[in-house]
Amino acid sequence: MIPITLEVNGRPIEARVEPRQHLADFLREEMLLTATHLGCEHGVCGACTVLIDGAPARSCIAFPAMLDGARITTVEGLADDAVAGELREAFMDEHGLQCGFCTPGMLVMARDIVLRRPQADDDVIRHELAGNLCRCTGYVGIIRAIRKVAAGREAAVVTRGTVLTPPSYASPLSLPLSPAGRTPVDPPASAIALPAELSPDATPDDEPLHNPVELGESFEVPAPRATVWALFQSPEQVIACLPGARLTAPSDGRSLAAEMVVKLGPMQAAFGGTGRIVADPASWSGVIDGRGVDSRSATQLRARLAYRLDEAGEAPREATRVTVEVAYVMQGPLAQMSRGAIARDLAARLTQSFAANLAAHLKGEAPVAANASLDAGALAWSVVKGWLARLFGRG
Amino acid sequence: MKAARFDYRRPATVAEAVAALVEDGAAKPVAGGQSLGPMLNLRLARPSTLVDVAKIPGLRRVEERADGVLYGAAITHAEFEDGVVPDPTPGFLARIAHGIAYRAVRNRGTVGGSLVHADPAADWPTTLTALGARVALAGPSGTRELALEDFLLGAFSTALEDGEIVTGVFVPRCSAGARFGYRKSCRKVGEFAEAMCAVLADDVRGVHRLVIGATEGRHIVVTEAKGVLADPRLLDERLASAGLAADPSTLRLHRKVISQAIEALNSESLPA
Repeated sequence: MIPITLEVNGRPIEARVEPRQHLADFLREEMLLTATHLGCEHGVCGACTVLIDGAPARSCIAFPAMLDGARITTVEGLADDAVAGELREAFMDEHGLQCGFCTPGMLVMARDIVLRRPQADDDVIRHELAGNLCRCTGYVGIIRAIRKVAAGREAAVVTRGTVLTPPSYASPLSLPLSPAGRTPVDPPASAIALPAELSPDATPDDEPLHNPVELGESFEVPAPRATVWALFQSPEQVIACLPGARLTAPSDGRSLAAEMVVKLGPMQAAFGGTGRIVADPASWSGVIDGRGVDSRSATQLRARLAYRLDEAGEAPREATRVTVEVAYVMQGPLAQMSRGAIARDLAARLTQSFAANLAAHLKGEAPVAANASLDAGALAWSVVKGWLARLFGRG
Repeated sequence: MKAARFDYRRPATVAEAVAALVEDGAAKPVAGGQSLGPMLNLRLARPSTLVDVAKIPGLRRVEERADGVLYGAAITHAEFEDGVVPDPTPGFLARIAHGIAYRAVRNRGTVGGSLVHADPAADWPTTLTALGARVALAGPSGTRELALEDFLLGAFSTALEDGEIVTGVFVPRCSAGARFGYRKSCRKVGEFAEAMCAVLADDVRGVHRLVIGATEGRHIVVTEAKGVLADPRLLDERLASAGLAADPSTLRLHRKVISQAIEALNSESLPA
């Protein structure tokens, strides 16, 4: 396995890759960027064309191991690109696609053609497009669409080495996930002494999370800082505020064993695992590191929750501002969801529920949402609704 | 298909690359990978290790001299096409590069890789031979230089010794009035040619060269070509001995492409 760093659609990626894995497979299977299509898989059909350092190239005969430091742009990464936007319109107007299989490669190549060859006529376009095959033979519409956009352009642009603006909106299909295989499955033994009931092979380690999904939440609770701090030092009480979570063994305050059930629509996962608690009273902050596995899907989850408590409100400072930062990396079958907007929103709502439960707990009330798992009820629906609203909100 | 398993090494210098190739006889150097990539995926090539030379600084260097330009082997076709490297000819190199495969291939494929691959139907081997280019080689026993026609021994066959790599290609400077004619016949734009011919006529230097590619084997190289330029039928014997006359349609295609390349000397390559 070769360690590499790449930038994929504007996002830095660290990965370990097999030399034999080609870029298209890496993008599709590790990054889950499935807009890049594989046709012939030996450099003839052009369906897998992506931009490498701004210039089009075949991703089926490029190998990530040889692309250390490169910037990769797939058609997902062209979502906000002005020229690609014009081309999408033109492809629609001129009937530039039929089955759509060649279209991602056509769009990436078409963008390069109109930039490099403004005012291109049919002959030029046909020559430049000769490396992209359309098995529907829909070339006439494709060429008309490209000509239409090229006709509106004046100066030629050298695309090689150009840096594209990454899309501002991370759609469910354009937020790369951390590739599988970058985190060792067997973590190194921890230096921290563990209670006997915790198995050593589930020890959390100090290895940083690679390319995690990160969420932040800040909220005020009506209690003095010392009271909130005391709660955060009690794993039982913290876990009680987390929807769907419970301790599976009594905690000694430095480590914990817990289970958390998450349901979303037809999917359900029960992550069981262990965590480590580190608190720094001097700075009123702490970190909880956890690692768990959903035994049904063999999906692994690593997460880190960092918190900080600040005094807030008018004197005598009876309120506390809690800042929580959550970072997580998921690997395995369910990881498909950890990169999408739905999973991201789910995690955001979990954080919000945690905040609400915490506030209720400190006020001596029952948790806002009963400490049941997040099932496909109101919460999941609100996640989907929020996601749909954003999709359509883009216009 | 997916490539079979191979190891990967990225040496920092030419010496390290040579050492890696000497160490493992089944290793192959790779630069742009635009010919090797498909062969890996089709499992026609199964190297134990790929030694990546694409980013070795010495192979990315361009050195302009009074008598020509030495290009690092890892200069890409697109860099020639876009004119970002100096050209010792009146624009011939950019024109040739523009006709190689497709832009997506030209962005990654390298001139050195094309020469080492030694496909007789590829553009650089035929055209650079016509331009009188020489390759620079580095290997375990030091460096050497070979005229391209001595380097290209036949289809996919070169004079490279074990552990040796091409580090660069030197293209001699043409006079301002030099003319170049190049024709190839492809079934489709970007496909490998079925017939190709490149002609250089540099009267000031007294250089007249004609090279026929897309042969079944070694290129047909005519170094004193003034005679055949006047009467291309003189080439029939060479075509026949290269086995290109067996099929009448093949012979006709080669003849046609040769005469078009010679005609192109007048129609296209007069300097402005």
